[in-house]
Amino acid sequence: MKIWALAAALMVTGGTAHAGQDEAALGRATYAKANCVGCHKWHGDGGGGYGGSALSLRKTQLDREQIVMTVTCGRPGTGMPYFLRDVYSDDAADHPCYGFSRKDLTGDNHVAEAGNFLRPAEVEAVADYVLTNIKGHGEPNLAECQAFFGETSRVCEIYKPQTSHQMPVPQTAN
Amino acid sequence: MSYHGRTFALLAGVALASLISGSAFAADAGPVADKPMSVKSPDVTSDRLANAQQEMAQGNWITHHGELSGQRYSPLDQINKDTVKGLHVAWTMQLGGVEGGGIWTHGGLEGTPLAENGYLYVTDGWGSVYKIDTRGGKGTLMWKMDPKTDHDWAGAVACCGVDNRGAALYQGLVISHTLDGRLVATDKDTGQVKWQRQVANPDKGEVVTGAPLIVKNMAITGVAGAEYGIRGWIAATDLDTQKEVWRTFTIPAKGEAGVETWKGDKSAEVAGGGSTWVTGSYDPKSNTIVWGVGNPGPDWDNAFRPGDNLYTDSSLAVDADTGKIKWHFQHTPNDPYDYDSVSENVMVDVDGKQLALHANRNGFGYAVDRNNGAFQWATPFVKKVTWTKGIDPKTGLPVEYDAKKDVQVYQVANTPTRDKAYADFCPGNMGGKNWPPTSYNPELKLWYIPVIESCNRVTIAETKGLPAKSREFFTGGGPSQPVRITGSVTAIDVTTGKVAGKFETKFPNLGGTLATKDLVFSGEPSGEVYALDGKTLQKLWGFNTGGGVSAPPMTFMVDGKQYVAILVGMGGAWDKWFIDATPELKTMQPGSTLYVFAL
Repeated sequence: MKIWALAAALMVTGGTAHAGQDEAALGRATYAKANCVGCHKWHGDGGGGYGGSALSLRKTQLDREQIVMTVTCGRPGTGMPYFLRDVYSDDAADHPCYGFSRKDLTGDNHVAEAGNFLRPAEVEAVADYVLTNIKGHGEPNLAECQAFFGETSRVCEIYKPQTSHQMPVPQTAN
Repeated sequence: MSYHGRTFALLAGVALASLISGSAFAADAGPVADKPMSVKSPDVTSDRLANAQQEMAQGNWITHHGELSGQRYSPLDQINKDTVKGLHVAWTMQLGGVEGGGIWTHGGLEGTPLAENGYLYVTDGWGSVYKIDTRGGKGTLMWKMDPKTDHDWAGAVACCGVDNRGAALYQGLVISHTLDGRLVATDKDTGQVKWQRQVANPDKGEVVTGAPLIVKNMAITGVAGAEYGIRGWIAATDLDTQKEVWRTFTIPAKGEAGVETWKGDKSAEVAGGGSTWVTGSYDPKSNTIVWGVGNPGPDWDNAFRPGDNLYTDSSLAVDADTGKIKWHFQHTPNDPYDYDSVSENVMVDVDGKQLALHANRNGFGYAVDRNNGAFQWATPFVKKVTWTKGIDPKTGLPVEYDAKKDVQVYQVANTPTRDKAYADFCPGNMGGKNWPPTSYNPELKLWYIPVIESCNRVTIAETKGLPAKSREFFTGGGPSQPVRITGSVTAIDVTTGKVAGKFETKFPNLGGTLATKDLVFSGEPSGEVYALDGKTLQKLWGFNTGGGVSAPPMTFMVDGKQYVAILVGMGGAWDKWFIDATPELKTMQPGSTLYVFAL
């Protein structure tokens, strides 16, 4: 019940003005700004490492509402932070996140704060970005990489068929 | 390779002396502060590098660890245990390189400044080099060389921070690395890049975070990436011809010695790890470079790679001319804890013995004979060790090590294995000491270790096969931080091999130490830079910089006055991967500042 209320509130605030392209650009920019890249990687496939295993957003079964919820509220007991500033405050209406208020977030229910909080419109935009560009997609490829990074970095080189693991030629400094 | 003859070294020595005394120039040029440096500074020759201890006495610091031995000991004593209470900030300078890239939200500072002839050379996290004129009691930026590091390419595969631990000096050049794997040579006077070469390949998950070590006329480079399935190496570049002289892999290939320690059919040379990301040390008398080798890959799932896994978790001695391995000493065979042995090997001569001291991630400080790697002693420098009951005094191996077993379990209750949900062990995987450098006082014979008093938790994720693609984490699990982590500066008496003192700190030591005649300097990630009495470890002075100190202090002299310098700007992996163990540090903000202290 609380989930519905939260989702409804977010849809009202976010869904009014933006054209499709602006929304996609906002989504991609938010994915970068919120440092989703830091755990889920640019391609969303996540994986293991020092921070533990971030979920693969390519293989996820979560729907839009659940993604919005997860970004907004984080996941207590995991490394996934919450991104809306006030959702756990004591006077938040209906305690929209799993019914928890701040005092409940101890021990195994600890949830990290995001480094950069987001606005509701940004949460929706990044959820839509994940649904359109990441969820259900197969292996990351060159086109997706260049769409994310542009073409000034060598970060997409490994997706080019001719990369042979020979030493790259250094780009000019100065 | 060329080697400067004695005549030139003599002339250079004379020129250096007159420049430092100032007398030859100050009289003609008027107040030093008004006149920009227009005289070409003397070349840093390999003779000067081999005599870096004399340079220290004159107020220089011309190689990464102060001198090639790795001791980080300065004989300057204007700042001493009686005067240090008067130490205060002389000047500061804001630097750059704080922006993020790849998986990192910000860059940080881990570098050791170099000092030569009144100029400091420092690097920021993305590898810009700054030349700073320190004469006249203030800092003036002469030039900044920005190598335009590819932030996304390198930052995606830097496991543990956007950092650059410093530059090097050779002839008229400043030699530096970039995170994206280049070796860059910059004109010391003009700040223009003369040449660069690609040494590491980020397409394979390789990055470079360490400072180059100049050995004769070569730059020695180490690589990072054992969390990304690389095959580690140490490489030497001829600085006169810019060609690679040798590259020694730390993971043996088929047919090479040591390959029998990688059992099963997994091809270790593909993804064995064995990174080399901390600057080593060099003994000119034996022409031997001693360098530390990191963890095997995957980091924790040691059942995937049965065998001792040479040369991971080892100190490695190589011939400087050929890179050929002379000896090795392995600390944690078939490592299930991520106990890298990348740390510096500090070369000391004590009681007629020629030692290499090494403070390992596994919580033990080791002494071996640096000519042949023969084990001398090991002693725990952390408060708590639970992965082993101790080091065998004859073999130098953990007492539970079983040569008949391919997969080691050590103290099995505290060792992560595939069948357990998790295991807790001390010291934590980040080690009782990480990259931050130790220092050694040759008069007191005390060795000062920057300690992370730690335990943490690891859960194994069973590795199914070699990495399917490059640039992806290949760790076989991951750590978490269920308990608080603190720190200390711990002194070991090298004549006895026993702990002589411990100064406990609220937070782990993430910056390293500096030793002078009667003081030890260090810093805390909560902001304070401090000085301890070198004998008693009593705290004599402190100053809160307000920034996350994660770089080593150094000392230099200019205009006849001694200074202590330290870079302040939260760097490394702590605030991303380990912050839960030190919740108060969550409020530390990124920054990038050079602090210089004086009496």
